[in-house]
Parts: sequence; C-alpha cells; structure tokens
Amino acid sequence: MRVTAAAGLVALALGVLAQGAAGAPKAACPATWARGWQKLADKVGAPVYCPTWMPNPLDAHIGGQYQDIYSISKDRSYLVGFLEHGDLGSGDVHVNFRGYPGRSTIPTCPGPVGDTKVPCFADPVGHMTANGIRATVYQVNQGADQWHVLLLWHYRGSLYTVSQHVIVPYDSATRVKQNLQRLLKSLVLVQPAR
Amino acid sequence: MRLTRRTFLGGAAAAAVGGGIYELVDRLGSAPARPLAEPAGMPAEQHLLDLATTHSEGVEVVVPPLHSAVVTANLDNLSDLHGAQRQLEDVLRRIDSTYALTPAGLGVTVAWSQTYFDTYVSAQAKAHLPYDRRAQKSVLVPTRRFPSDPSNTILEANDVAVLLRSDRVEHIDAARKDIFDLPFFTVTSIRRGFAGGGFGGGQSLPKKMAVAAGVPGADLIPDGSELFLGFTSTQKAALGPGTIANHETLGYVDLRSGYFRNGTHMHLSHISEDLEAWYLNFDFDERVLTAFRPGMTNVRQGMQTVPQGPAAVSPEAELVRQFHKTGRFGHSASIQVTSRLLQDTVGEDGTHYPKGTAIPQRADFNTLDNPFAFSADPKHDGLSNEPAAGVHFVVFNPSGDDFERNRLAMDGVLPDGKKLSVPPRNRAAGFNSVLTTTHRQNFLVPPRRHRSFPLAEL
Repeated sequence: MRVTAAAGLVALALGVLAQGAAGAPKAACPATWARGWQKLADKVGAPVYCPTWMPNPLDAHIGGQYQDIYSISKDRSYLVGFLEHGDLGSGDVHVNFRGYPGRSTIPTCPGPVGDTKVPCFADPVGHMTANGIRATVYQVNQGADQWHVLLLWHYRGSLYTVSQHVIVPYDSATRVKQNLQRLLKSLVLVQPAR
Repeated sequence: MRLTRRTFLGGAAAAAVGGGIYELVDRLGSAPARPLAEPAGMPAEQHLLDLATTHSEGVEVVVPPLHSAVVTANLDNLSDLHGAQRQLEDVLRRIDSTYALTPAGLGVTVAWSQTYFDTYVSAQAKAHLPYDRRAQKSVLVPTRRFPSDPSNTILEANDVAVLLRSDRVEHIDAARKDIFDLPFFTVTSIRRGFAGGGFGGGQSLPKKMAVAAGVPGADLIPDGSELFLGFTSTQKAALGPGTIANHETLGYVDLRSGYFRNGTHMHLSHISEDLEAWYLNFDFDERVLTAFRPGMTNVRQGMQTVPQGPAAVSPEAELVRQFHKTGRFGHSASIQVTSRLLQDTVGEDGTHYPKGTAIPQRADFNTLDNPFAFSADPKHDGLSNEPAAGVHFVVFNPSGDDFERNRLAMDGVLPDGKKLSVPPRNRAAGFNSVLTTTHRQNFLVPPRRHRSFPLAEL
C-alpha cells in the first residue's frame, strides 16, 4: 500500500496523470513507460502524448526493447519510433510518434525527385475522432513515416502525429487505420514538469 | 456481399481454368446496357469491337467489355495444315453465328506469332508479310525487353494467341472451349481479367475485385476507378479511332501482296502493379504528374478522368523542356510523342485524322492473375495462386516498330535518339517504378478472312 501511494505521488509530481485534449481525466501513461515519456516532455518543454495501447507485439517503453528512433531536434520537434522487425518473414510492426512544439503547419521534406520540397504529410483522406482529438488521416508521408498511414492533430498551437507502417502483419491501410483509431483513443497527455 | 480471403483463394484454386475468381465479376458487377442488334456485317478487321460510350467527369469515355481473356497455345499433332485451317475457321464461323460482334455477344481476335510463320509457312511469310517502310523491317519484329524491364522478363514464343472479349463470362468460356478443344492446339496459358464499371457511380469492378481478393493496396484504390491505378484510360479522344491501327492506314507499311490488308500488330504483356507503392508513396498531385506530365497543376483533387484529347498533347520540345526543369517525365507525355499524330493526316481510305490523334488501339484489362490463371509450365511462368494486382496489356499498332517506339518513349528513349536520362524503373520515369513486366510477346493479327492459319492455303 505504501509503495502504491508513493508511486501515485511520484506520478502526480511528474505530471503523468493523463488528460485528453478535451481536458477530461483519462487513464495514466503506463507505469513502466511513464518515466521515458516524462523525460521527453521535460526535454522538449511541451506536452507529449503517451499511448496506453500499442499494436501487438510493441510496447511504448522508451529505452525498451522495441524503441527504434529517438530524436529531438533543435527546434524541439521530436520523433520517437517503436519497431519490431520480423527476420523470419513475419513482417514489421512500426509506429512513430512526432510532436512539433510551437508549430502548427505541416513541415516540408526533400522531394522524391529533383531538388524540390514536398509536404512531409500529404493526401488527406478523412478524419478520426477519439479521446477529444479530431485527427486528419494522411496517406502519403515522407521520411520515417514513408509507407505509413498517419494521424495528425493540433493541441494548443502544436502539431502532433502518430503513424504506422502498412506492412505484414498489418498489411492493409484499413487494418492500420483500425490500429490508429485505437491508438488515438489510448493517448494520454504528459505535461512537462514545472 | 463479403468474401473472406480464404473463400476467395479457395475459389481461385478450385477453378484454375474455369471461371474461378473471375466469376466474381458476375457477382460483383452488372453488365452495362448494350444494344443487342447484330451488326449488319462483320468488319474485315478482327481487332475492332463496337463499344458504346458514356461520360465520366464531363469526358466521353468508351465502355470496355467487363470480361476479357487471352488464351495462348502452341500447335501440336499438326499433320494437315490445310485441314487444320478449315477446322479452325469452321469453329470461328460457328462462334460468329452464335454471338453478336458486340460486348453483349463476343469479340474474338486470333493472332499469330513469328514462331508460327517461321515454323509452318516460312516461304509464304517471306513473300507476303507486310514490311514497315519507316523502320525498314518486317511489321512483325522479334519480341524484346525494354530499358525498364527486369532482366528476367520472359520473352514468350507461343504460336497463337486468341483474345476474347465480352460482358458475359460464359460466352468467353464457351468460345474458349470450342476453339481450344481442337486437337492441334496445346494451351500454354490462360489470362483473364476485367475492366470498367463505376462510371455510373459507386465502386468500380476493379476496386470490388481487388478488395475481395485482398491484394495489397486494394483498399486504397479510389471507389469509381476504371482501372487499379485510379485514372480512366478509355477516353474516346485518347484511343485510336476506326481503322487507324491497320497496317495500311497511315502509310507506314508496305502491304506487299495485300494479303494482310485490314490486319494489324498486337503486343501482349503481363505487368504487375504495386498498388501500395502507388497510393502510399505518391500523393495525388504526384500521381497526376506521373501518369500525365509535370506541370499539370490544375487537376482537381481526386479527379479520375483527366482530359487527354488531341489538344492536350504536348510536343517533344515541351517534354524535353519539362524534363530538364523538373528532372522527371510523365507517362502520357512521353508516350504521346510517338503515339499521337504529329500532323493532320489523311488515311489510305481518305479518312482525315487531325494532329494529336492517337494511333494505338488498346484492349488492356486489369487482372488478379499471378501472372496467369493457368500455365502449362507453372514453374517457368512463376505461377502462383495468390492473387496479385496487374494488367494484361493488349495493344494494336500498325507495326511492331510502332509499338516499340511508344514503349521506348515510355522509358524516355525518343525516336530521334534523344534520351531523357533516368535510371530504369526510377520514380522520375512515369509509371515505371510501380510496374514490373513479367511476360511479353508480339503477334500479327490477320484480317478476318485470313484469321485461320494465315498463308496456309498458299
């Protein structure tokens, strides 16, 4: 009991009791993942979204066995990816989380041909709403999100995304969108420590 | 109707040479209304099929037959060439009398390869095969690979190919059986597919079929798309009119004896299409400039029927200029340099063809064959029961060289020797990065009067 209470206090201190974008209380970032997401929020000085569910077999433990890319740029934008690579033909499960603190416009990426720039996220094909978040579904994405379906939304003047690769075992955009809907529903905000 | 992948694959495996997965066409699509009247007479050309038109996004489009099939075969046990000629012609005449020459009935096109001419009628062929004056070679050229083809593209050597087109799969199946039950044919492959639907709203047949088969990227195909890649390819103004693809019409070809007047050249290939790459890596704007040409910025998001009439054709200089400016070229823009008339032209029969008129007559259709519905040599052909998105590309040109000019232009190799230098299958070269050609072969389509074992009677 004492341990539980202490953990609760720590969680409160770190600000990881989650709130959806609409402000309604939600579940907390899972205890084993919370530390990493809190550190990320602190580093970028802005709220970040921690998932409470991930497509099988991934978890969202930053520093854990599935963490792939962990990158924070000078402008405080971040990319955190989780990847399970199936060497024996079982396929890949790859989920990326991005945040662009203070930025509300879609960034540009190097174009696929010639010396051009293209939107990093393009071909909007609809919307998903869950957890107080209304996200736009983008189907053609660049860089680490290439071949992914991506959800993009805004929160307090900042842009956030989550995406998943369309590949076996989640081998259709329809199946990936189902995962993204569930991910969206599972997101909890982690505030930076004051 | 919901089909599980298991149900779908089970159906495919159970009926390799029957209707198989393509019976879904009858379940998922309905035949467009067609006039039932028998045409007054059979045209001299085998490759012509009278197709109705409708409008899609304000553009007149030809309504393709729902079903198509190509059966290839070799000749075997052929001791009596004249007898075989009579037997096949008898069967074809029976088919002619059974079905109207419309999509509601059946269109049959019998095409013969260099292998046939060399093996069975070589002396006659030397004297009678038309000669391409422009290319200074026979109209029937050896099948070849093109710069964007993989090194393992199979160059086939079938003796004969029969194209069957109808809105009714049972017409195709019955005719196929009648023709290929003849004792001298050994079927080497059966290729089946579908096109169209969707012009009246709702999901098109290719979309429904691809989703039912569960091929990668199926759910990304726009609902009303005539073909898998999302754009309408049967615009009337973008297809060769009337007899323009006949050997004799444009004057490219010396008919020599005239035996093959009203004939044409047919190229047949199978091309795999990577739908996921197309829809997940190319946004709509890039799909437009890839399918058509760079600089097309006025196309409404989601548009499928992008006007491609004679006035939309850009000259070679514009193609080269755009390439130097953007580092890429579009599929249509590169091909149109050779596939459209560069000036107003009067055909041999006096028909006036305006500058920009298309020359090739296409009869391609989407498929879920991988790569064929049936192969006599499954290992060699890489046959798989797993459905795969692709196209059986069938096109009629006045000569084999004319086809090659178009196909080379698709790879950025222009007829005057200019090269738009892009690595093979690069994203900058039109559709090439999402297409993989598995098989190719050239054929000659004789006129209807000589469709059965051409030259055998001489």
